[in-house]
Amino acid sequence: MIEFRSHRSAIGKIQAVLIIVVLLIAVGGAIYFYSMTQAPKETRLLVEEESQPDSLDPAVSYTTPGWEIVEQVYQGLLAPNGASYTTYIGVLAQNWTISSDGMTYTFNLRPDVTFSNGDPFNAYVMWFSIYRTLVMNQAPAWILGQNLAATNGAGFNITDSILNSINYTNPSQKDLSYMTYENQSVQVVSPSQLVLHLGYGYNGNAPYSAFLATLITPMAMAVDPNVVEGNGGVAAGQPNNYMETHALGTSFYELQSWVQGQSITLIKNQDYWGAKVLPADSNYAIQPAMLDTVSFYYKAASAMIADLESNTAQMIIAPSTQYNVLKQATGVTSTILPIVFGSSESIVFVYMDPYAFPPFQDIRVREAVSYVIDYKSIIHSVLNDLGTQWIGPVPPGFPYYNESTTGLQPYQYDPNMAASLLAQAGYRSTLPNGTTLNPAGKAFPSVNFLYDADNAPQSQAAQIISSELQVIGITITLSPLTFKQYANVIYSSGTVNSTSYPFGISYYSEDYTASIDYVTAITTTGQVGFSGFSNQTVMGWTTSAATAIDEGTVISNLQQITRAMYHDYTDIWLYVPYFMAANRSNVVGMIPNPAGSGMGYFMFYNTIHYSS
Amino acid sequence: MGTILVSIGTVTIIFLISHILNPDPARLWAGPRARPSTILAVAARYHLNEPLYTQYYYFMRDLFTGNFGIDPLTGQSILSEIRFYLPNTLELVFFSFVILVIVGVALGYFAGMHFSTLGDSIARVTYLSSWATPMYLAAIVAILVFANYIPIFPSGGMYSLSITPPQSTTGFFLIDALIQLNIPAFLSGLQHLILPGLALAFVNFGLISRAVRSSILNVRWSTYVKTARAKGLNEAEVRQRHILRNALIDATSISAVIFGWVLTSTLVVEELFAWPGLGQFAYQAIFSNDYPVLIPVVVVFTLGVIAANFVADVAYSLLDPRIALGGHNGAVT
Repeated sequence: MIEFRSHRSAIGKIQAVLIIVVLLIAVGGAIYFYSMTQAPKETRLLVEEESQPDSLDPAVSYTTPGWEIVEQVYQGLLAPNGASYTTYIGVLAQNWTISSDGMTYTFNLRPDVTFSNGDPFNAYVMWFSIYRTLVMNQAPAWILGQNLAATNGAGFNITDSILNSINYTNPSQKDLSYMTYENQSVQVVSPSQLVLHLGYGYNGNAPYSAFLATLITPMAMAVDPNVVEGNGGVAAGQPNNYMETHALGTSFYELQSWVQGQSITLIKNQDYWGAKVLPADSNYAIQPAMLDTVSFYYKAASAMIADLESNTAQMIIAPSTQYNVLKQATGVTSTILPIVFGSSESIVFVYMDPYAFPPFQDIRVREAVSYVIDYKSIIHSVLNDLGTQWIGPVPPGFPYYNESTTGLQPYQYDPNMAASLLAQAGYRSTLPNGTTLNPAGKAFPSVNFLYDADNAPQSQAAQIISSELQVIGITITLSPLTFKQYANVIYSSGTVNSTSYPFGISYYSEDYTASIDYVTAITTTGQVGFSGFSNQTVMGWTTSAATAIDEGTVISNLQQITRAMYHDYTDIWLYVPYFMAANRSNVVGMIPNPAGSGMGYFMFYNTIHYSS
Repeated sequence: MGTILVSIGTVTIIFLISHILNPDPARLWAGPRARPSTILAVAARYHLNEPLYTQYYYFMRDLFTGNFGIDPLTGQSILSEIRFYLPNTLELVFFSFVILVIVGVALGYFAGMHFSTLGDSIARVTYLSSWATPMYLAAIVAILVFANYIPIFPSGGMYSLSITPPQSTTGFFLIDALIQLNIPAFLSGLQHLILPGLALAFVNFGLISRAVRSSILNVRWSTYVKTARAKGLNEAEVRQRHILRNALIDATSISAVIFGWVLTSTLVVEELFAWPGLGQFAYQAIFSNDYPVLIPVVVVFTLGVIAANFVADVAYSLLDPRIALGGHNGAVT
């Protein structure tokens, strides 16, 4: 009996195991065959990158991933002219004129433009959109705020209540009285004509040579007032919760979904107004999308490269240090783009804050630091030679870089000279051969050296710089911080004379594609990461360059700024890494432009398609 | 009461640590290049210019009234964000927990019943290796091996972007897909769940195996087991009703601890697998010093661990009738 029961029990167990195995095979098979049906289709594009958008609101978003999405769903008056970043073409504006004094920009708007929900676009909408950005006053608002403002300083104020009260479809006389008033930043002349008056913003009553560059940023893109008013309206100084995660614009793509933490999917706008524009009046920034769907997946770097190689993803953002890896991959095209793209991504330099660390007040010490760094070695070992040394503050590849740096050589590596200068400054130093200079001199005090712990090249460069400084007798304490903490330090100005990090690696990336953006930040903000630089003469040259309307004046001012900073060793210009484009070889149509946030190097996805 | 006190203590510690790490997060939240006026507005909204005890009061008041506030980085209601992310994390956690319990118990049982044999040694090496593997390493290796070299699973995400996701009813992707008979979404979700689930399970099953093995060794030669055999019970019944059942008692209490580990391991796994869950949300909040988000998330994790311990206590009492839930242990009769 016992044997019979054991036998039955054994059969039962075998049957149970078999059933489980069959079930597992069935489920596994279903998953496998299902996955085989998910090969990429020719109308769909999957792109992958690490960082997620911060917001989908054009008035709030201030990151490359955020702008990347916003620029496919929303449109502004202008766009860069193809690959050019100094000339522009009309998108929502058909054409425009600039007054001779550079203070008034008159835009004639395109007719028959609509949002993807059918709502009309006109000058009233543009008036609302620009003032919405200024009144909300979120992080990127200053870009427009340099030249425009919600107040004219003489009693005329556009407030959130006014913006929320106006009927933009059929404005009343009172509504029109706000919008058509002449002495304000944004003036409606007619439903199809808008005038922007400069002079009310931070820059004061002066023209701005890069004003058009600021108009291609998301802050100046058209937002549907009906959508905003129906979902919380405009609140001064505050974001709009609904607009943070929803997007509805006039452009060739619509937002289908945002799975926060995972992906964003855009689908072709089937009612896109640009599809009806005659070819003669159209351009690349207006033409309808060629792909039906573009999806953005936000993943770790290791996963992205694997996905590109397996054609799960068709485009990725990868650091240029992966160039040699991706070069070997079948079906993948990896391209090192011109240096201007690297500059728009980040220019890297060493800062020295003399206010918080008195030894840096001695120019000989700063000059010594410039001589002690082996720039070529850093570019070789850290960037695999995919970078270049540079002379700032105008970034390489940007307009007037060559003109402003004429006759100057990048800082040279000469540790003997570095040790000698340090000794002259009163410190004990050592030559690379071990000889001590100025043995009676004081020891150079130890100092914290800040860098971004989340940035691998910076981490490696910091290690190299540390050992090079040690050779001549400067001891630093490496002080990495995570990116947000690091940015918090380098962009702070209030603590410039008390920061715990008076020495370190700093960087800057463009807000908009104009040399003056970089120069203004570096020479006028007085932030820790720019060595707390504050020189009235240089600021004067910066203002002159920003407000000049002739190229000659711009160039001569930039030359003076460059030379002044170069000979003062204010910042030690370190390197600019090259930027790499990585995509499947059959994906074509990208129009590279450093103003673009698409994969970091192009403006729009509408021209992208698969080659036959 | 104990739950409340633990939660308050945890929140207080996180609050203090966050403030020590970055006493002035306004610039961080406003954006590194924000204008002073924007930074001041953020500081005012979150009472950052007020004394620490005042800020603590506002935090605790809002927490107890269920007003988790607005995420300073996204402008979204923190409660709505947690409601979105939590089911995704629970789906991942429950999936991996079931796997690791089954594998852990099976391996521990096998090792215990084949004590001092080659099988026992192999099993011990296996579970000790898994236990010693860092979470991030397991996740990265899983992606490299099964998404790159042998591409049978996707490298990340919760579902393929080529399918239409189900409408959110329960918030659980797989359950919603089944309810709506959206089979492509269900299969896609399952396909995406397997790799992160296995990675989570792999590094956490070892302790259960070890506990079960130890318990098996304690139990299998005990007097009552010998008595059961002597009474004529077949070997299968002896193993199932007397050995395994008693061995599971220790494993149950260990499981509660492991559930907490699995829950907190989601910080790493979800970030690496781009899984839109609470772990990834917390990960981003840590690096942004976003403590208005971090504190409620920690409260949720704390409650999760407390709930797991409670479930373990219930299971414990079911497995061992001598233990009365909520009362004193009964004497053996």
